[in-house]
Amino acid sequence: MAVEERLTQLWETPHTLYGWFSTVDHKQIGKRYLVTAMAFLIVGGLEALVMRLQLARANATLLTPEAYNQIFTMHAVTMIFWYASPILSGFAVYFVPLLIGARDMAFPRLNAFTYWSYLFSGLLLYGSALIGQSPHGGWFAYVPFTDSTYSPGLGMDFYALSLLFLTISTEGGAINFIVTIFRLRAPGMTISKMPLFLYSTLTISCAIVLALPSLTVGCVFLEVQRQWGFHFFDVAHGGAPLLWQQLFWIFGHPWVYVIFLPATGMVSMLLPVFSRRPIVGYPYVALSTVLTGLVGFGVWVHHMFAVGMSQMGMSFFSAASMTISIFSAVQVFAWLATVWTGRVVPTASFKFAMGFIALLVIGGLNGIVTAVIPVDWQVHDTYFVVSHLHYVLVGANVFPVIAGFYYWLPKITGRLMDERLGTWSFWVSFIGMNLTFFPMHVLGIEGMTRRIYTFSSGLGWDSMNELATIGAFVLAFGILLSVINFFSSLTGGRVAGKNPWNADTLEWSTESPPAVYGSVHIPTVVSRHPLWDNYEEEKDPNDARVLDQSRLTLSSTPLDAKPAALAYMPADSLWPFLFNLGMTLFFVALIIKWLWLALAGVIAMLVFNAVWLWPRPMKRPA
Amino acid sequence: MAQTDEEARMSTIALDRLPPEVASHPPLVTTLDERRGTAGMWLFILTEAALFILLFFSYFYLAQGGWRWLGEEPPKLRLAIPMLVVLWISSAVLHWGERQVKAARYSRARTGLGLTILLGVIFLVMQAFEYMDHLKTLTPRTNVYGSIFYTITTFHAAHLILGLLMLCYALALPQYEPVNHPPHRPYHNTALYWHFVDFVWFWIIIFLYIGPNIR
Repeated sequence: MAVEERLTQLWETPHTLYGWFSTVDHKQIGKRYLVTAMAFLIVGGLEALVMRLQLARANATLLTPEAYNQIFTMHAVTMIFWYASPILSGFAVYFVPLLIGARDMAFPRLNAFTYWSYLFSGLLLYGSALIGQSPHGGWFAYVPFTDSTYSPGLGMDFYALSLLFLTISTEGGAINFIVTIFRLRAPGMTISKMPLFLYSTLTISCAIVLALPSLTVGCVFLEVQRQWGFHFFDVAHGGAPLLWQQLFWIFGHPWVYVIFLPATGMVSMLLPVFSRRPIVGYPYVALSTVLTGLVGFGVWVHHMFAVGMSQMGMSFFSAASMTISIFSAVQVFAWLATVWTGRVVPTASFKFAMGFIALLVIGGLNGIVTAVIPVDWQVHDTYFVVSHLHYVLVGANVFPVIAGFYYWLPKITGRLMDERLGTWSFWVSFIGMNLTFFPMHVLGIEGMTRRIYTFSSGLGWDSMNELATIGAFVLAFGILLSVINFFSSLTGGRVAGKNPWNADTLEWSTESPPAVYGSVHIPTVVSRHPLWDNYEEEKDPNDARVLDQSRLTLSSTPLDAKPAALAYMPADSLWPFLFNLGMTLFFVALIIKWLWLALAGVIAMLVFNAVWLWPRPMKRPA
Repeated sequence: MAQTDEEARMSTIALDRLPPEVASHPPLVTTLDERRGTAGMWLFILTEAALFILLFFSYFYLAQGGWRWLGEEPPKLRLAIPMLVVLWISSAVLHWGERQVKAARYSRARTGLGLTILLGVIFLVMQAFEYMDHLKTLTPRTNVYGSIFYTITTFHAAHLILGLLMLCYALALPQYEPVNHPPHRPYHNTALYWHFVDFVWFWIIIFLYIGPNIR
């Protein structure tokens, strides 16, 4: 039997219903992440459009105040938790194993598990909309507004519990990425030869491991206070409302980098390819990525300058916040130098990446402005902040993500997207983006506070709001063009071939779409640009690295990537999916406070987990 | 994108000297990887440690930075310290058991697991008595001190129960060296988690029990 056949037999998931629910193939799971996250982006985007319609003119009555509160909260929660981070996980799940020449993630079944829990937690969140009680306290849900006195009903319980559900998924994913990147890199891919996307994924995974428990603690406190009469944030019984803010932002600011850094990593991958040269200052870009993640732990208080704290403490956090801009500037200048000294191929992907740099600079500059305490006091909780965070999140997440789609989708689908439509999509979204959010600077300085459901005319806000609403629709149309482009490329796009961009990293050495097993021979690497050097990565005369005895991949040492051992990869399994059904039951039961049902959920999880982990004989080719 | 040959050549980086260990295609390694699970467990412990650090942070934040809570009676040490001793003994027994696995004395290793589980259950029973006593004067709904005290100790108990279930699972595993699973690993990974849970109780004793008793 040919080698390829044996490998296919070992790694292929049967195309059956069972296979669909039980697959652990990182490419399948990566695609699901991308599709699900895009679906959440579209839902969150539609919510934004409804909000902009309400704010298009003074005293509009499209939405009631309560409906407006629910919609802006769902918009933010969806975008920040269920779109921005999972979309990057999607890219990472699909491409990290290919980038490092491994056959799958370190824990394939955990990978399936984290996808299902991501999906189910999102469905749980939107279950709140079915009963008309969505969360309405903003994405950071400040107490005391969100405790049961002021927010009766189940809305904030949905918030706390679906976030707790999601943190389990995110933690599992982070641990999986760290172990994968440290243990499964191709021989020779030392830590100094890793593609930069791996640096950013590694950094944010460490940030998740250390920072996400803060959200867990906060949500547990909130939920037991709301439902079980505890007093964490209740001043009358000695509690401290500020504790919620501390816990939320200890998590929240590292999270900003979690949804930002992998996007910069993607740009650091594709800009050099379209500039036809290696990135300028690789070590500085890598270091500044890591340092952003590190210093990101010391800036959370800048979200709370207005609550009244010691001068010294605030100065420290103000200085740390400004330090971040140095690391971002290092990256920006490295990209600009790369483009400047390169021979640019201006594809749609390149344009989106350049648009990202422009928006990041604007969002970075108005970020520095808000890190200055007196200015922050002036613009705190105004549209200036809304503008800043959207420049950073739309500019530095959505734009690089679309750039990433134009760059990597040909690898996933095997078809190129249309460049002309892509260029249109870029210019329309870029103009729409600025039309929407630039006027908000002015609105903020003029005193329009965020989260108001309407405003009176005569305050000088009318025309700017009208402009922002028009801009929002232009931006949505621009993104729609890319969505159309994607669907038409599936059937009508030019066939991509292995390496349509003549790119430098290992994923481009596989077929498009890649075979289920990745590459036939586990590659070895001798430079940062495996496909640009004159060394053949898959040269393996004795077939020593085919590893077709079972589902195997090569495990290597963490820093210098010397081959260390053979890693056995578990086969497809239905148990991660079933485990998640148990967990969904558990969280639903907690929301409706049926404790026996919750216990049933826990028991189901334990039993399914035990079966999941039970040792099984190794899969052999027939 | 049209790619000319010239462009393709432009982007080739010539390599003169290859690192020897890569160039010579090392003979294929034959050992099975046994580190991934342990690495995953360490990271899991790290994130759990962050969780408890944040719980302790919340404790001191709510206590306004002090060791003592104004107007609160400090918790009694009568049961808490013996509970610490029980956990320490359990960790020692488990460590002894792990050494038995490595020496391929499996029935002794199983005995070690069984004893550890027994000690863990004894701990939980003692905690039940401790709660029954403590709840007479303080409940989670009394005030914020009760809320944080019971939250931290219950979090610990939940982790201990999880650890116990993992130990039971390791005890039920068919053999300690199944063909597909590298030797000792389930035992070792479970033991790591158990030691971590014991270690957390040590800090609970320091922060929640001894701290408020210092005058």
